[in-house]
Amino acid sequence: MNKIITVLLTAALLSFATYADEAVSCDDGSECITIGLWDIGIAVGYGVKSNPITQFDDIPIYIIPSLAYYGEQWFFDNGNLGYSLLESENITVNMTTSFSSDSAYFSRWDPSNIFVAGGSRVSTELANSSSFWDVDDLYALNFNELEDRKVTVLGGVETFFYTRAGIFNIALAHDLLDVHSGMEAQLKWMYRLAFSQWKLELAASANWKSQEIVNYYYGVRSSENYYWNQAYNPGSATNLSLTLTTQYAINQHWELLFLAHYTDLADEIVASPLINEHSSNTFFVGVAYRF
Amino acid sequence: MYSFINSLLPATLFCILYANSALAIDGEAAATLSLSPQFCITASEEQNCDIELLLNWHTAIPQVVCILSNYQALPKWCADSADIKALSLKVSTQEDIQFILINKLTHQTLAGAQLNITPTAEPQARRRFRNPWSLF
Repeated sequence: MNKIITVLLTAALLSFATYADEAVSCDDGSECITIGLWDIGIAVGYGVKSNPITQFDDIPIYIIPSLAYYGEQWFFDNGNLGYSLLESENITVNMTTSFSSDSAYFSRWDPSNIFVAGGSRVSTELANSSSFWDVDDLYALNFNELEDRKVTVLGGVETFFYTRAGIFNIALAHDLLDVHSGMEAQLKWMYRLAFSQWKLELAASANWKSQEIVNYYYGVRSSENYYWNQAYNPGSATNLSLTLTTQYAINQHWELLFLAHYTDLADEIVASPLINEHSSNTFFVGVAYRF
Repeated sequence: MYSFINSLLPATLFCILYANSALAIDGEAAATLSLSPQFCITASEEQNCDIELLLNWHTAIPQVVCILSNYQALPKWCADSADIKALSLKVSTQEDIQFILINKLTHQTLAGAQLNITPTAEPQARRRFRNPWSLF
């Protein structure tokens, strides 16, 4: 049903498809890119992405790549492929793909962890060292090895509204590979400031995940632990996030970076026996080179 | 009556077009003004085109001519004799220049030519939808 809604929504928006408006300016604080040229950058430094999955290691970050190519309507931006249906001064409508952020906690080679050193490891006794849940039943504490939580590609529609109060982004996406057949929706506000060589972007977002996604990544399979397979039946969940991106341009190519990201995990996700944190944090400090 | 007008109208249009065509052919045969080069490509709209132009003209009958232009440094130039059939001049401009060949005595317009200034297209940019350093 969700897939049908996504397809119908996409088809409806496609009927309004127009060519990108060449008169769109980049003077409203939004980041701009030259059409037809690859934008390649690499940042080196140190950061940590905390992993809320029980006994999974936090993920150290040493290198962050940045790779983007924008055509007249098509674009590729750090793994996201998109097509602009409408682009005007005040509004943009894109069809786009993205990767689910949840799979990154379970896989070292998830797209979100590319170029990130270290990784996660699987524990067979997830709950043994944790007092996160008030459960005395031994059956509840002993976990078999976790099954794979696969990465998937989400596809959907996103809209940007450019206003004096910032940029508002609404996105709706569905699992394209039928890994979990779930949907995600995002409401995001971004505000960008630039003065002298400094650029700051503050973003706040609410990310809704359907029951299928929450259950696929944070639910417990019967082969892993039968007790929790029966006891934990999550519904949909909404995570709340704050992001700060600070850039200081040293010259045309070099810049200093400070990135910070905080996600308040939804209660439905925190209730999972696989989770031992209420939040996930990421920070990175480094120097970046733009080719 | 209606069908008469319908048949007369195309015939009238044909006559007008034929007459214009004939005049144009006569005008072209009477005199020509050529310009080399005809185009100057600049890196941007703000950049001057600094170039040496060569104007050549031909008239059916020998006559002393003048060249008028909208280039401020050369609003009018006149040949000293009917034997002169070329003019070389340096220009520095950001805009197109129109040249008109006229008869010095009668001021009759004989031919025209234009130097076209063409700035190269600047690379287009569009909004980037993702923060370059966002991998969260």
